[in-house]
Amino acid sequence: MADIILRVAVVLIFFSIVLGVLRLIIGRTAVDRVVAIDMLTVVSIAMIALYAHLSGRFVYIDVALVYGLLSFLAVLAIARFLEKGP
Amino acid sequence: MLELLILLVCGSILVSGVLAVVLGNLMAAMISAGLASLFAAVSYVLLAAPDVAMAEAAIGSGLATLIFLYAIRKTNGGGE
Repeated sequence: MADIILRVAVVLIFFSIVLGVLRLIIGRTAVDRVVAIDMLTVVSIAMIALYAHLSGRFVYIDVALVYGLLSFLAVLAIARFLEKGP
Repeated sequence: MLELLILLVCGSILVSGVLAVVLGNLMAAMISAGLASLFAAVSYVLLAAPDVAMAEAAIGSGLATLIFLYAIRKTNGGGE
């Protein structure tokens, strides 16, 4: 049962990365690209956690934790810059 | 199954690096460079180097993007 769920998670992460990178390529405005990179951050955190389970090394969970704590800063700064203008 | 995901991450690094060079808008190029750094951190984890990945996530994806944003704001406001 858990094997099936993990396999479904790998497929979902695969298609999320493909669609997010496509949005980054064709994105018309900068806001589209900011949202795409924010989504790809969340997807990569999920991917690191999944790999920590699959490889059996739970040190990798710390990387996902640090990444989740730090990754919002860049998106926050870009959003503030886009709202207030140069 | 996981090998396909690793190949996709490496291809995404390549695509976002090319995009950071090609795009004319400075804002979009900066975002693409941040994405290259993000996926580089993921690939460091997949290559069994979690401490390097942590440093890359903190410095490359967080601090470098902020410094680029500060530089764009100081120069011409992210225009063409």
